[in-house]
Amino acid sequence: MINFEYSRTSSVKAALDVLAKNPGASFIAGGTNLVDLMKKGVATPQRLVDINNLPLKQISIDAKGLTIGALALNSDVAENEKVKKNYPLLVQAINAGASAQLRNMATIGGNIMQRTRCTYFYDTTLPCNKRKPGSGCGALKGYNRMHAIFGASDKCIAVQPSDMSVALAALDATVMVSSSKGERKIPFTDFHRLPGDIPEKDNNLQPGELITAIHVPVNSFNKNHYLKIRDRASYAFALVSVAVALKVNGNIIQSARLAMGGVAHKPWRLKQAEEMLTGSAIHDLSFAKLTDNIMQDAKTYEHNAFKIKLGKAAIAEAINKALQ
Amino acid sequence: MNNQDQKDSRRDFLKKTTAMAALTISSPVLVKAGQHDEKIASFFEKMDLKIEVNGVAHQLSVEPRVTLLDLLREQLHLTGTKKGCDHGQCGACTVHVDGKRINSCLSLAVMNDGKKVTTIEGIADGDNLHPMQEAFINHDGFQCGYCTPGQIMSAIACVQEGHANSREEIQEFMSGNICRCGAYPHIVDAVMEVKKGGKSS
Amino acid sequence: MDKNYFFEDTITADEKRVDGVAKVTGAATFSAEHTIPGLTYAVFVCSTIARGTIKNMVLAKAKNAPGVIDIIYYLNCPVVPGYTSEIKEKNQRERVLNGLNVFADNIVYSNGQPIALVIADTWERAVYAASLVKVEYIEEKPETDFDNLMQKAEAPGWGGTYKRGDEDAYKKAEVMIENEYSIPAETHNPIEPHATVAVWEKNDKLVVYDKTQGPKSTQGDLALLFGLKRENIQVITEFVGGAFGCALRTWPHTPAACIAAKKIGRPVKLVLTREQMFTMVGYRPISWQKIGIGASRDGKLTGITHHAISNTSRYEQFSESIVDPSQNLHDCPNVNTSYKTLALDINTPIWMRGPGPATGCFALESALDELAYKLNMDPIELRLKNYAEVHPQNKLPWTSKHLKECYELGREKIGWHNRPSVPGTLKENGMLTGYGMGVGVFWAGRSSATARGTLYADGMFVLQSAISDMGPGTTTAMVSIAAEQMGLPPDKIRFELGNTDFPTGPTQGGSGSTTAVGTAVTLICEAMQVSLKEMAIESVPGFKNYKPEELDYKNGKVSAKTNSSTSISYTDIIKQSGKPELQVSKSTESFAQRDKYAMNSFSAHFVKLHVHPVTGVITLKKIVAVADCGRVISETTARSQMVGGAVGGIGMAMHEETLMDHHSGRYINANLADYHVPVNADIPAIDVLFVNKPDNIISPTGAKGIGEIALVGVAPAVANAVYNATGKRITRLPITPDKLI
Repeated sequence: MINFEYSRTSSVKAALDVLAKNPGASFIAGGTNLVDLMKKGVATPQRLVDINNLPLKQISIDAKGLTIGALALNSDVAENEKVKKNYPLLVQAINAGASAQLRNMATIGGNIMQRTRCTYFYDTTLPCNKRKPGSGCGALKGYNRMHAIFGASDKCIAVQPSDMSVALAALDATVMVSSSKGERKIPFTDFHRLPGDIPEKDNNLQPGELITAIHVPVNSFNKNHYLKIRDRASYAFALVSVAVALKVNGNIIQSARLAMGGVAHKPWRLKQAEEMLTGSAIHDLSFAKLTDNIMQDAKTYEHNAFKIKLGKAAIAEAINKALQ
Repeated sequence: MNNQDQKDSRRDFLKKTTAMAALTISSPVLVKAGQHDEKIASFFEKMDLKIEVNGVAHQLSVEPRVTLLDLLREQLHLTGTKKGCDHGQCGACTVHVDGKRINSCLSLAVMNDGKKVTTIEGIADGDNLHPMQEAFINHDGFQCGYCTPGQIMSAIACVQEGHANSREEIQEFMSGNICRCGAYPHIVDAVMEVKKGGKSS
Repeated sequence: MDKNYFFEDTITADEKRVDGVAKVTGAATFSAEHTIPGLTYAVFVCSTIARGTIKNMVLAKAKNAPGVIDIIYYLNCPVVPGYTSEIKEKNQRERVLNGLNVFADNIVYSNGQPIALVIADTWERAVYAASLVKVEYIEEKPETDFDNLMQKAEAPGWGGTYKRGDEDAYKKAEVMIENEYSIPAETHNPIEPHATVAVWEKNDKLVVYDKTQGPKSTQGDLALLFGLKRENIQVITEFVGGAFGCALRTWPHTPAACIAAKKIGRPVKLVLTREQMFTMVGYRPISWQKIGIGASRDGKLTGITHHAISNTSRYEQFSESIVDPSQNLHDCPNVNTSYKTLALDINTPIWMRGPGPATGCFALESALDELAYKLNMDPIELRLKNYAEVHPQNKLPWTSKHLKECYELGREKIGWHNRPSVPGTLKENGMLTGYGMGVGVFWAGRSSATARGTLYADGMFVLQSAISDMGPGTTTAMVSIAAEQMGLPPDKIRFELGNTDFPTGPTQGGSGSTTAVGTAVTLICEAMQVSLKEMAIESVPGFKNYKPEELDYKNGKVSAKTNSSTSISYTDIIKQSGKPELQVSKSTESFAQRDKYAMNSFSAHFVKLHVHPVTGVITLKKIVAVADCGRVISETTARSQMVGGAVGGIGMAMHEETLMDHHSGRYINANLADYHVPVNADIPAIDVLFVNKPDNIISPTGAKGIGEIALVGVAPAVANAVYNATGKRITRLPITPDKLI
């Protein structure tokens, strides 16, 4: 690892100032992803700005919904009694990710900033347009079992690995961002982006911006489930995952939220499927039609064709589980 | 020193280290000259760190890139905390920082300034083992013993967090600690025993 | 603890692991953890191509980085005497040094091969400097894709074929099946990375702290390499943090650390990274197998044909006994087998827990299961019908064989009667439910070993042998044996290992530590008792008129057979003898009656599992592991070995696969996030049962061996249960959810 400079900062303004003056600087919070990337030589910041002392750790619920400070720990959110009660989908998704130790380190802001686990991205000797623009995509004709089936480009077929992000996408969350220019809100589904021609950009955060909080609107969904299919029972990234939130009244689905993980460069919100589900009777769901529709745009590669069938199965199972 | 002073001195420090970094990158000759005075070089590259480990206060000077794990093992010679993967993927390096279990391999030592760290060496009361240590012996919750300190630190936290209410819950919340010898069922037995005995601290 | 055991007379000295306190307190010192004054840190630079030659290495930047002491590579590597062919030939009888001669030349045989070593004053500085080394290659296209290169496999020098009776007899059988099986490379991945600390105390005196399963073997290798006498090299291995086979030989990092320490004149520590644990210390080879089995309609086997190919590296021949179980596990008159190896541009494999049979039994036991369905026969009945009472290959009797008891115990414990005879027909809570079983076999025997015992006047009995223990609990077992033999409490006995200054012990592998070293310990205890009697007669006044045969030794006391009041403790005998201690060394030769007996340990594994009907996710519900391992010396550690083997077998069946990018010839999951080993949440209740009948022919300990049979047979039991649950026969491991939808 290069020996970088390290400093601490205790206000948002000071943090933004340091970043503005030092283009080679990175913020560090939990460090679970950044330190790992630095060890692998994938990230080489000249300077780390430790933002753990910023006052961005609060978790609050009011009439408008849930606001989570960017520096709240994953475990603090998942253990919060009010969050557990009102946002079970979010809690399930957080607990499906990483390990108890990592969730004690990783922050909410860091979680959504985590970079892909694509092996070609992580290995600096292999080609990767995301790590080194123009070097090619090693996964495209390489080993691509874990890779995207939606929204990929010939520059990049990596997937976003965050479980929590899938739930946040389903729950219509908003990312609150600060910069020297002021504050702005980014709808969660617009936070991450598709790779297109600039796969090095994971998200739509602008240079000099800092995530301060994530807001989740009031949760009216009474049936929730986060299903993660993986190669072992815990502590593994998703082959596919599905976040389901349903508002069921009597036998009728009044509204539905559906998103998938492990299938795209961003959490893959399934709006069309949500519309199909809305108004349906819960005993009369046609999963075949629903999932065929979802998968009609899927494009697979040599090793990940199974994700279509597995994805369909996971969607059906996740909805069934939510309804149980 | 007030806050502003601290910031100023830090800023001066950063200016100096920036200059050093530039030297390192630009000219091998100059760096070589700098190396003749290693002490100066290391002064600029290192940072002060106050950290309490197992109740003992340490005032140290470390490079920012040194992880908490390597600080413990190589500088403080507390080798009970293990390096298995160095990437947060095995749990062998689990320690408690301010009471929470974390992977010390992914935490920079300087990020733990002013914090209290507890390692496997710090949980027994003299010759009296911690109940979790006793339980691991009683249930043979290990074979080679290499992942064991991490398992025990994780297990103590698992009970304290309230995640030891059933075998299934323990299994899930202990899955961040890999045991290649496969002692998992015995590890769960040990955690169950401590949970039942209410001896979690 | 459930009483799942069927013991006859287990030694129940102390059921707690004797090194338990050291392991739970962090006091156990592993190879990288010794505090050495003046220590320096070494980090490898590794190849980033899989095949070719190094054209140039640009070192200036790295050399000038802060803290760098030296960089060693092929152009400046000091002469290593053992690299020259002359020395090789001179020592040929002892052992041919093969493998990668690190820093000897500029040839790249595999991606991730060590090609330079950076030594610095701190680990962080060494890591950084290593990242600054630039390497230019003349690159050649690597061949790494086993599946597509299999036709290039070659027969080994000895031919690789075996035949008894008619060739391919299965094809003419009344009922027959044929299938192909693939197992990917599996990497041992002990949690402790390999580590070497090399200290040259003098120009010709080397002390090495090394992670090895065989300290004496490492000592011998280093003696050959550096042209030193064995006694000038001390290898210390107090604790080994798991190995499972990957520390069975001396890999390049050990000489590399020694070369560096000598060149810079300071102690050097070299610890492999997790990634290097994939590229430098072996793996279970990739394999392909094809099996054909035929039987009469009533289930008597008439023919087995078994072909296997596994990979080796371009620079070494590595082979395994994959097809052996087909030759001798079940009774069959006509058997032919073939075995070939395929050289690839990958690092060399090494034996991994249950080497050979673990691979072969996956195919054989899966095939038998398939045949049982075709015969409409219970798989256990099929195995009983073809039970081998004598070794089918050489017709010799086994020293002991209780596989039938294994079947019976396991069948009962798993609830085999609940198994549906038609696959895919049993559901529990909506989950497809299946039962499966598989048989494990491994060579049992006894190698030579020496140990030394010293009885001190303060009452301590200290045993020493230069073995190491990677976790199974040799120390505990040896204390257990000595406690019983000497009638002493275990806390009066200490077994010391992990130091080549102790008498020669075997390498820990092939489940042989307990029988070999245990025999030496037994002999020491017997000799000790004779000596104590003689010393009593010689030095203790009241015993002067007795003859040795008139004396008894029991529970630490020598007494007259006819007059029990004439009695003296061993501590008093030593005190009165005027000697500081009583010391006895004993050696045991390896088991010599190989022409009279067949020798094997056996196991039977039973699995109950659920498969999600929609997502294909497998949930293991229960495993029953039954062992015929002879007499159980230490119940606690034996049980842990069986549980651990089952967990390893689950990994083999469901999780483990070392993946490669064939364009670069580079492993792409060389880490513990992407190379999946089982985690706690994967593991169901595991019941362990022992037949526990002593095998007194192999050794006086009565033990055979556990470590390997604990894993062999688990993977097919899982695959067979998956078939029983779903009707899907998975022949390519691992069985992940995508293969079941």
